Amino acid sequence: MLVDDEEGFTNLLRMNLEKTGLFEVGVENEADSAVDAIRAFKPDVLLLDVVMPGVDGGDIVAQLRTDPELKNLPIIMLTALISREELSPDAVAESENLIMLSKPVNMEMLLKVIEASLGKKA
Amino acid sequence: MKDDAAHWGEGVCVDPGGLKGHDGYMNREDESAAGATMAERNEDTDNHRVSTTFRDVGMLATVFNNLPVAVFCKDASNDFRIILWNKKNAEITGISAEEALGKTDYDLFIKETADFFRNIDKVVLSNGKLLDVPEEKMDSPNMGKIYLHTIKVPIVDPERGLKLILGICEDITEKKKAQEQLRELGENLSEKEKQLLKLNENLSHANEELKATQLQLIQAEKMESVGRLAAGVAHEVKNPLALLLMGVEYLSDGLDHGDPHVPQVLIEMREAVDRADNIIRGLVDFSSSRQLDLKATELNSFVQNALLLVRHELTRSNIKVVKHLGSDIPKVMIDKAKMEQVLVNLFINAIHAMEGHEGGKLEVRTSAKNLKRGETSHDEGSRSGHQMRSGDRVVTIEILDTGTGIPDDKIEKIFDPFYTSKPTGIGTGLGLTVVKKIVELHNGSLEIQNRQAKGVRATLTFKACDES
Repeated sequence: MLVDDEEGFTNLLRMNLEKTGLFEVGVENEADSAVDAIRAFKPDVLLLDVVMPGVDGGDIVAQLRTDPELKNLPIIMLTALISREELSPDAVAESENLIMLSKPVNMEMLLKVIEASLGKKA
Repeated sequence: MKDDAAHWGEGVCVDPGGLKGHDGYMNREDESAAGATMAERNEDTDNHRVSTTFRDVGMLATVFNNLPVAVFCKDASNDFRIILWNKKNAEITGISAEEALGKTDYDLFIKETADFFRNIDKVVLSNGKLLDVPEEKMDSPNMGKIYLHTIKVPIVDPERGLKLILGICEDITEKKKAQEQLRELGENLSEKEKQLLKLNENLSHANEELKATQLQLIQAEKMESVGRLAAGVAHEVKNPLALLLMGVEYLSDGLDHGDPHVPQVLIEMREAVDRADNIIRGLVDFSSSRQLDLKATELNSFVQNALLLVRHELTRSNIKVVKHLGSDIPKVMIDKAKMEQVLVNLFINAIHAMEGHEGGKLEVRTSAKNLKRGETSHDEGSRSGHQMRSGDRVVTIEILDTGTGIPDDKIEKIFDPFYTSKPTGIGTGLGLTVVKKIVELHNGSLEIQNRQAKGVRATLTFKACDES
């Protein structure tokens, strides 16, 4: 599932993910209603923007972690604030189901991280 | 004799009887001549004419006794017995005229002192001229420790059978004290002056440090606002870039567009996104003031590892690597990730400068030395130059290439943001700016200059770890 206030981005990302034939993709562009949307959709993995108007990504993560059903949900945070180098390959393995990815991200990288997250969940 | 002396009134000072073999112009018979001038009795010589204005010997005695200097006279032809002793002399020595007259120094002083006086008297006589003793210390029973300025004059008149020593002593204790005070004051003054100079030096040092700190503050503030700006720009630009990239990815994936140029267009669009992203990253790197993760690091292996990172570029450009890695290089506190960026950046610059030239050689040297005076600030533009002081143990890494060098009119600008010699799209113009910034964060220095032969020498200097 994708949560990002940038509609163009979520549209294109959804199209790219659906084209792989591997995913069923839900989208939410309103940060305020994101948590409800996530509860309703029950995703296997969440792609979450960090800086959004109103509630930011960090707040959403905090709310999800208090929900027994969602506290182990793998989350990939997409941020325009950090540099790409800051994600080391080890970070995926070490993280508590939370990975930071720097925008812009290419599909190759994104798919690897999604697979790693789902693998961890399974 | 005593009676004669008494005739002179208070503080008898002359012992006329002491003048043996002399007709004795101050004998008892003189009394009858009271009121007559001395000249009437001593006709011919100048010596006697001098006294003409005194009406009598008593008057002369009063003058002697009122002199503010001590006056004495000894008869050298009669065992240096004292024949004249004025009141000031009595004051100074504590010996009255009655006690002194007719005696020798040996009767009045301890042997050591008497010997001293006698020797001087003999010297004065044999030299036949005045002797000036500018300063003598003396223990006076009445006046404590005093200083005297003494002049001794030989009076020799063979015709009259005179062989005398005339002594005049001035008490210079007060003068001496004043001099001493003056000297102390002078010393005090020069000490104060020294302190003042020192204070002044401290002050100007503090002032310089203040200026440097101010510059750093201004710089820090600038960097902070640039940092905020960069973060803002990064966010605003990266989001559309992310969107663009998603679009390009979508179009790139296997669809047949019917136009043979589409794949190429998409590749170039993807590269453009990468380029823009690189610039944004460079900006954020440049402006970020994130804390360094400093660790004591062994430089030689660190340099070798960094060389490994560029081995593909080196092989591709057919560049030979020569390493001169010094022994006993102390460890250096560095942030490995950031310093790796520095070395790789400098290596890549060197490699690019040598591309297309046969027989390129990349030389890397490490060495350690103690910084000498005048070497403390390699780089005048660096505000952190003062962090390394002469005497500091430093480690240097030199990177030398045999490439094209830097044109003289460009070398000033190489650290400026967005200055690049590379074609548009190849360099962001932020590489060296970021490199320099990282080096400065390490309190190190980076100097880049053209080599005399050919190519460029980059010199990195860092303070060595205290413990190593």
